[in-house]
Amino acid sequence: MAEVRIGVYVCHCGTNIAGTVDVEEVARYAKQLPSVVIARDYMFMCSDPGQALIKSDIKEFSLNRVVVASCSPRMHEPTFQRACQDAGLNPYLYEQANIREQCSWVHEGDEATQKAKALVEAAIRRVSHHEPLEIKEIPVNPNTLIIGGGIAGIQAALDIADSEHRVYLVEREPSIGGHMSQFDKTFPTLDCAACILTPKMTAVGQHPYIDLFTYSEVEEVSGYIGDFKVKIRKKARYVDEERCTGCGVCQEKCPWKTDSEFDIGLGKRKAIYFPFPQAVPMVPVIDREHCAYFLKGTCRACERFCEAKAINFEQTDQILELEVGAIIVATGYDLMDPTPITQYGYGRFDNVITSLQFERVVDCVGPTGGKILLKDGTQPKSIAIIHCVGSRDQNYHTYCSRVCCEYALKFSHLIKEEIPDADVYQMYIDMRCFGKGYEEFYDRLSHEGVNFIRGKVAKVTDEAVTDEERGRLVVIVEDTLLPGVIRVPVDMVILCAAIEPRSDAEEVAKLLKINRSIEGFFMERHPKLEPVSTPTEGIFIVGCCQGPKDIPDSVAQALGGASKVLSLISRGKVSLLAATAKVDEMRCHGCGRCEEICEFHAPKVINKNGVMVSEINEALCQGCGLCAVTCPAEAISIRHFTQEEIKSMVDVLTES
Amino acid sequence: MNNSVLIIGGGIAGIQAAIDSANMGFQVCLVEKSPSIGGRMAQLDKTFPTNDCAMCILAPKMIEAGQHANIKLLTYSEVLSVEGEVGKFKAKIKKKARSVDEEKCTGCGICIEKCPWKADSEFDAGMGKRKAIYVPFPQAIPNVPVIDREHCAYFLKGKCRACERFCEAGAINYDQEDEIIEVEAKAIILATGFDLYDPTPLREYGYGRIQNVITAMEYERLSSASGPTAGELKRPSDGKIVSDIAFIQCVGSRDVRSNRYCSSVCCMYGTKEAILAYEHRPGTKSTIFYIDLRAVGKRFQEYIQRAEDEYNITYIRGRPGNIELNRRNQNPTIWYEDTTTGETKSLEVELAILCQALIPPRDIQKTASILSIELDEYGFVKTPDGLSHPVDTTRAGILACGCVHSPKDIPDSVVQASAAAARAAEILSGGT
Repeated sequence: MAEVRIGVYVCHCGTNIAGTVDVEEVARYAKQLPSVVIARDYMFMCSDPGQALIKSDIKEFSLNRVVVASCSPRMHEPTFQRACQDAGLNPYLYEQANIREQCSWVHEGDEATQKAKALVEAAIRRVSHHEPLEIKEIPVNPNTLIIGGGIAGIQAALDIADSEHRVYLVEREPSIGGHMSQFDKTFPTLDCAACILTPKMTAVGQHPYIDLFTYSEVEEVSGYIGDFKVKIRKKARYVDEERCTGCGVCQEKCPWKTDSEFDIGLGKRKAIYFPFPQAVPMVPVIDREHCAYFLKGTCRACERFCEAKAINFEQTDQILELEVGAIIVATGYDLMDPTPITQYGYGRFDNVITSLQFERVVDCVGPTGGKILLKDGTQPKSIAIIHCVGSRDQNYHTYCSRVCCEYALKFSHLIKEEIPDADVYQMYIDMRCFGKGYEEFYDRLSHEGVNFIRGKVAKVTDEAVTDEERGRLVVIVEDTLLPGVIRVPVDMVILCAAIEPRSDAEEVAKLLKINRSIEGFFMERHPKLEPVSTPTEGIFIVGCCQGPKDIPDSVAQALGGASKVLSLISRGKVSLLAATAKVDEMRCHGCGRCEEICEFHAPKVINKNGVMVSEINEALCQGCGLCAVTCPAEAISIRHFTQEEIKSMVDVLTES
Repeated sequence: MNNSVLIIGGGIAGIQAAIDSANMGFQVCLVEKSPSIGGRMAQLDKTFPTNDCAMCILAPKMIEAGQHANIKLLTYSEVLSVEGEVGKFKAKIKKKARSVDEEKCTGCGICIEKCPWKADSEFDAGMGKRKAIYVPFPQAIPNVPVIDREHCAYFLKGKCRACERFCEAGAINYDQEDEIIEVEAKAIILATGFDLYDPTPLREYGYGRIQNVITAMEYERLSSASGPTAGELKRPSDGKIVSDIAFIQCVGSRDVRSNRYCSSVCCMYGTKEAILAYEHRPGTKSTIFYIDLRAVGKRFQEYIQRAEDEYNITYIRGRPGNIELNRRNQNPTIWYEDTTTGETKSLEVELAILCQALIPPRDIQKTASILSIELDEYGFVKTPDGLSHPVDTTRAGILACGCVHSPKDIPDSVVQASAAAARAAEILSGGT
């Protein structure tokens, strides 16, 4: 092996490192260590001149190893690896010592300098063992899977498909559309939600590059960026999609009713049903739980009336296997069920409803035909809108649900439009009108005669203490601006319930091997700079599954996710990890433990010239090292993280 | 250039849009008015709600944009005119004379070191000085200095030439002239960001009159380790390190006299700046005066909670009416109504920070007329269909992202930038 010639660069990072660590001393110390040819300290190694220094030194001093002592390798390892590569050095002959996050930011004084020296020395020892690794590339499958057919999933699908790449859009419900299809108007422009959404839904339904799977769920995901394998369960609709003409006679003739999910229990639907009139695809579903034929074996009314002969009670779930290069997760949110917040009386008082129920109430195709009515069919004269129900609340969710202030304002406008003399109360903590046109919307509503009461509502009760309160609901709230506790008698209460992660977010996260943040939403790779990427390459998150957000922000994220996928497709290939497992066949007994332990299915025991040995599929290997530590014969090692390398570092760090 | 996107503005939004477009295989021309890309984010010390150091997370993106094979960077340049239409725009760009030959310059920095002439640093929001030949900040991309002809003795009086004498690469060129470059593009992304409201007209707050009343951006530079005080929170009047400070929200925002809109980010950056003050000097007391606390992003509410619980930060709901100077100790005294009690009170602090509004770039009218796009009543870019097409402007083929669209935080700017890149891709692949 050629002589090892190491260049060491100690970064000041402004005062981030140099403020605590004596960087000059660290460089001096490094300089006298074996194989170190040159050691320098510099203000910002990541700056252009910093990188140029590395490049020119590699040439001038014939360096064949480089160590930079700076920030976390997660930050700038790619920067310095690229600098090495530019100067003709294999990027795996580079090593980074983290003397910022793991040193200068957490230690003080001489201790920090001593630790920095140790970390740098450990990196120097390790880099001597590094070997050049070959970077292999694999092609990217240009098809994309999108999970969730709400506005975010729809937008992402359209954008990718418009660039003439195949999209598989999977939606759990019988129709795409998501929560947005349940809304009447949208803030702050008061545009009709369906008018914006339905053209997009139709476009999805007809797009030559979109394969739509509704009433379907993703069951299994394996593989990796560029080459995922996905299993989808297409649940039995009991209606033949090919034959069904969407005429709706089955729904009309079905004699069995149940609560409509779409109208959140405020209306009824049939046992065979379209969730809503603009459903895409226009193919009904039989709800087995409520269909008399499935329950008792008789009825078959739908079948009798279907001229297209589309009803098929024998239909079974289908499993489809797809191959895609990237996955966009757009599974949206659940609205919190406010029943546990017993003091607000949801479920106990008829006229306490959730915000989503109110959306259905004001929708002209909703259960009341768009009329704002109480349970008894009369018109309310006063309505309280309670903000932060389950949000900004230590007992439920500490986060803000971001959209409630705006839709609450929208509600008060819609109420005033229909019942101009109604008393409308907004009970809020802070009015959070942060988006384009939102403050103006707030301003407009404060001139429409809406009462704003700043305070978190304590209780909704039907216990009257005055004649005025009798037979009504009373909202007890502290007006923090008066201040004092007041009682507000109203006819209807709307609860702005929190936006929650989907109830099955945990399973979905496991399925996709992505993480969730503390509140349960899917976690982005970086909250600021990689808001739609996940730590798992090739999987992106958009819309409310990443955190509460409004429609424009969901659409923007969807486009953002699409741009990441299009970049990947355009690149056409991805580099495989070079730091993968390798097997020393002389030591391997072929016991197969590695095969059992690996969740990526990378090792496989094969018969090689009559000897059973393990072989690693490098495309599948993620370099996690589980096989290496499991192997009883120590036959497996991880390139770039060999026993020797780790041991050399541990030796230095335990000595010092 | 075939299949190309012109991106105007090299802040975080423009950089992200450029990287995304370039990664999709398109040719990108990124035009930035100042000598380096980086924009406002480069000036920030830390970022909310993670307290990540802004430069640490920005620099890798700047480097990526600077080195990307599909990105042509035109810094210190301005778009003069745009002709044509979607799919075939032709732009004329003025590449201003740097007076330094980019090909020859090695970025060694000796010219800056030797230059004897100083001017207020724009990057340090006037809190520090820079030389007449300068790079705006150490991580600048490109790392090629610019001679500021307004402050260079050679341009003013015809002598000095110190930079030229010391430049071993022979890169100084006083005779360099502005160049006009023509660029063809199928789509244009506008990402020129924002300017900051100058609070001088709000006389009651005494900005410009009371030395220890500063703006939030000035505070960012004071707090930054690479800023003029190397991160020491020294107040302007006497250099005293402060430990009792106050932040005033909605300065120039939500105000019928200046701007009615909400600037979206001030509640959060004010909180961040107060947290940083405590981190610089544990025990520091901060008071934040607000109207509504608008902590709407992921983990923002929790950040506010932490600020109150762990960082000695008090939030008072009330918009201060007046700031007076205590002449004895140069402290500002803030008069306000605590709206939760209805009482009028005063609070004396060592430093008052005005959380100034984000306003449209001062040259937005010119930009809008060059691009023939409409603006909203404030001068932000008008988006006729904000719900379905949040990054489209009134003109086909011209998209807008980041704060030029409306005030927003970094994650939302980054998302919009990617969205604009995706819309540009649709246009480039023949869609609408």
